[in-house]
Amino acid sequence: MIDPVILQQGSDWRAQAEIFDEIFFVFLALGTLVGTIVVAYTLWNVYKYRDDGDRSDEEFDAPVVGELPTGQGGPKAKKLFLSFGLSAIVVISLVVYAYGLLLYVEQGPDTGDEGDIEIMVEGYQYGWAYEYPNGHTERGELIVPADQRIDLNITSRDVWHNFGSSDLRIKSDAIPGDHSETWFAVSSEDVEAQGGEATYRVECFELCGAGHSAMKGQITVIPQDEWEEWYASTGNSSESAGNSSNIAAPGVGAVASGGVSA
Amino acid sequence: MSGLPPTTSVKRWFVTTNHKDVGILYTITALFFLLFGGVMALLIRLQLWDPTSQILSGLAYNEAVTAHGLIMVFWFLSPFAFGFANYFVPLQIGADDLAFPRLNALSYWLYLGSGILLAISFFQGGTLSAGWTIYAPLNVPMYTPSIGSTGAVLALAMFVTGTTASTVNFLTSIHHSRAEGMGIMDMPMFTWSMLATVWMMLFAFAALLAVGLILAADRVLGSVYFSATEGGSLLWGHLFWFFGHPEVYIVFFPALGVMLELFQTFSGRRLVGRKWVIISICLISVQSFLVWMHHMFLTTINLEIKTLMMATTIGISLPFDLVVFALIYTLIKGRIQFTTPFLFAFGALLLFILGGITGVFLGAIVLDYEFRGTYWVVAHFHYVMFGGATALFGGAYYWFPKITGKMYDEFLGKLHFVIFFIGFNAVYFSMFLGWETPRRVFEYNPEFQIYHQFGTIGAFVLGLSFFIMFYNFAKSYVSGEPAGDNPWDYSRTAEWAVSSPPPLENWPNRPSYASGKLEFVKDYVPDGGPAMKTDDNGDVATDGGDSHSAHISEYPYWDKHPSHASIWPFALAVALGVTLFGFSGFADAVTVELGETALQSNVVISNAMYPIAIVAGMVGLLYTGVKWGLEDFYAPPSEFAERWPFNGVEKVKLGMWFFLASDVIVFGAFLSAAIFVRYNAGWMTWSPLTESLPGLINTFVLITSSFTVILALVAARRKSRQGLLATLGATILLGFTFMAIKLWEWNHEIFDRGVTISANAHGDPIQASIYYVTTGLHGIHVLLGLVIAIFLFVRAYQGHYLDDERPIEYFGLYWHFVDIVWVFIFPLFYLF
Repeated sequence: MIDPVILQQGSDWRAQAEIFDEIFFVFLALGTLVGTIVVAYTLWNVYKYRDDGDRSDEEFDAPVVGELPTGQGGPKAKKLFLSFGLSAIVVISLVVYAYGLLLYVEQGPDTGDEGDIEIMVEGYQYGWAYEYPNGHTERGELIVPADQRIDLNITSRDVWHNFGSSDLRIKSDAIPGDHSETWFAVSSEDVEAQGGEATYRVECFELCGAGHSAMKGQITVIPQDEWEEWYASTGNSSESAGNSSNIAAPGVGAVASGGVSA
Repeated sequence: MSGLPPTTSVKRWFVTTNHKDVGILYTITALFFLLFGGVMALLIRLQLWDPTSQILSGLAYNEAVTAHGLIMVFWFLSPFAFGFANYFVPLQIGADDLAFPRLNALSYWLYLGSGILLAISFFQGGTLSAGWTIYAPLNVPMYTPSIGSTGAVLALAMFVTGTTASTVNFLTSIHHSRAEGMGIMDMPMFTWSMLATVWMMLFAFAALLAVGLILAADRVLGSVYFSATEGGSLLWGHLFWFFGHPEVYIVFFPALGVMLELFQTFSGRRLVGRKWVIISICLISVQSFLVWMHHMFLTTINLEIKTLMMATTIGISLPFDLVVFALIYTLIKGRIQFTTPFLFAFGALLLFILGGITGVFLGAIVLDYEFRGTYWVVAHFHYVMFGGATALFGGAYYWFPKITGKMYDEFLGKLHFVIFFIGFNAVYFSMFLGWETPRRVFEYNPEFQIYHQFGTIGAFVLGLSFFIMFYNFAKSYVSGEPAGDNPWDYSRTAEWAVSSPPPLENWPNRPSYASGKLEFVKDYVPDGGPAMKTDDNGDVATDGGDSHSAHISEYPYWDKHPSHASIWPFALAVALGVTLFGFSGFADAVTVELGETALQSNVVISNAMYPIAIVAGMVGLLYTGVKWGLEDFYAPPSEFAERWPFNGVEKVKLGMWFFLASDVIVFGAFLSAAIFVRYNAGWMTWSPLTESLPGLINTFVLITSSFTVILALVAARRKSRQGLLATLGATILLGFTFMAIKLWEWNHEIFDRGVTISANAHGDPIQASIYYVTTGLHGIHVLLGLVIAIFLFVRAYQGHYLDDERPIEYFGLYWHFVDIVWVFIFPLFYLF
């Protein structure tokens, strides 16, 4: 489950997918363990203390109708607090552990000299539009280079969408009038493993209207040199630049311009 | 309308105000909605069978998804639980009925009426299709234009209105009518859970009502809150989840209460760590309001707030841990009887454990980022909410003998459980396996088809299992074995101390726990005076106790018999339903063409049905409201009762305070919305739309009217009819002055300055919307107050309120509240 992908750029880079897989594995293992213990313990006791009619009556203090309710104290109460304390320790340590990795995900890896590429993503009913730093726009397919941190700045032209790719383990809300951010990076090993061009499914994860189900897109990752060639060819002559969409863009402010931040 | 017809008469079910009758109505109606929502669920599952070919269009699928969520959460889960709460909370606390029986019947009819409105919305060009979370701006007419969408939103608003009435009723009942000797810590666990539930509902549903009203304004009147890019979407998110997270516990707690009762009854053991379980329940209720942004981790909220919300989310899981362990340890060393009710309660615990563990995953933000909007979330909340509801079915089997007097069929019950449990896990566990599928998507990645097909089969098994229950209940009701008063070996609570079904007024004599256990004591009732306690010899006891407050003697008719029937709750609900039906089509049917002045403006009506419904409904509301006020309906408070922490507060006054508390949240939500949007738009970029002078004058007018209301109360206490009429009259005049100035102001804004609810010649349109909607809500409160004041004035003219001035006092509370709200509105809209 955990196979660390080392990106070429700096050996301390970790993809979001990798971090997710690690935390998910830890939670799944511990959750299964705790769940199995609790459920097994419960089932065993329920079986053990079933009413089979032949237990002696001596210590059994049966409740009666109309009594004012009281609780049970004694050893069981001690056990209660012990279990509670244990469960609290498990839960809190799990979350503290996960929190450390959250800070990394929030910040993203250090880009060093190479810089990152910031791409504006705009959701609309029903698709995704991308705008590159040079003003070139694409619809549906996002083409990015390997071994580089890609920053996505996500918003929406109409209703609330959610841009996500399960394979890359990235996701962010696309909210009209608001900009959210996420990042990803794919190593060239992964690209090569997929035959020189890695593709990832993009889906909308927030109900956005009748075409929500069909609101798909794709992220295509290609080797850096190929990408640079392609990117240079887009130049500033993008035929579909700006917001020249035929889809109504009600009440949404202009898309903020992107830029390469080194 | 004093006599209550027998249960075999159809008429009885329209007029009854008895808590047990209303409880039965709730339960049966909720089961119908279970079928309704269940059919929607099966449609969803059929659609998911094959990601490449579908039976529903995208829009129809979204409607099914939305209706399934709304119906199950609002029209099934809570009302099903409230059926039991209606029936058994009064019995468990030793009360004759709920505090306000007519209000209780009204709650039910509003519930049923709202459900009918929702059903109608399917035929108004299609119902809402924005998901049960109704995210903005998909929820505005630009994206969901059908009349039915508006109809569904208004149905929800009507439902919440009924819920609010119910909340006030339960809070007052539990805090005001507990039998002597039953302190707050002595209440049975089901009642405790319900108390925590209604406390959460008081605040959570008020927030939902507010956000629903704002949405209704957007859809019916044309305001632009949720389409505003100045934070409109996030505004919905915050307000909805401020309600939405407590709602999870609101639907779960009643089920938890049933589990806590059934674990004790069928193991013969008392609850382990009872005090700590109660403390946990109270803690969760408070904490539930502090975690809502964990539903919004992927929005633009900053890391600090995310961290805080993560901490509170983990914090809220801890009391649940304690409750779960307390349930498990309670069983140990017991004599566990595997009856059908216990199997369902125990199954609910197992399902909840799984739901809880998978919930911890969601508490870790990195995991939440990926789980957001996927079937992991869907599976998780079905395990929690529907898993909890599993215990409610246990409750249905547990209390069936009490309600009907007949025993259910144990074999069929167990069969139901086995099939239910298998079906449940088949459909929801398969969702965990295919969790990467996005929610509400049917064209999913074919990789996951096997899981979804497995889930679809499970869903049909699960759905069919309920027919075993329906058959079992129907058969047993007709020809079951007589159950006797108490069919269970280790039951403890008071409902098992009376016959099955219990008599109309529940008790043979007054129930009391003063001696430490339930006894039925006989009081001495002198002619024309309140009852007095007697000692063992039947003599009047001199020790009245502090629970017998002086305010009891303010109820003047001691020889009267409590009433149990009124047609006005039903009639009022019909009138409100008709009104809201009219409003659902208002925006489509009526167009206002603004001219130079109000007189030159045109109203074009394209479909007369809707405006006629509005007018007819409003006339009906006024008529039934007046009839309600005039009806001689007698529901006295319990004479000797435990009322902590509200000792000495009269019943209706307590209810009024609870209602006002919820109204504080409603206005709080409106004002928060105003502040939130303005903050997002840039606080200093806005300046008041209006001139401040009219607002200032109105402030003085309203504050003066607060004084006249106080004087009215003084006059009534001094039994001065003239004084009462003069001061009430002055209040009414001041109220009309306020409304007249308001009218002038709006007229001025619209025709002289070009500022309407959806357009603003001087700035952001959203600013105009906020101004009209917020001051409009306040104006409606003033108008409602005026209607009541005129009613009181006419009654005072006829000579009422001199012996019993409480209606004047309670109207005064409301009127002061409305004035105080204005004190907050004034600076926000007129000064800064």
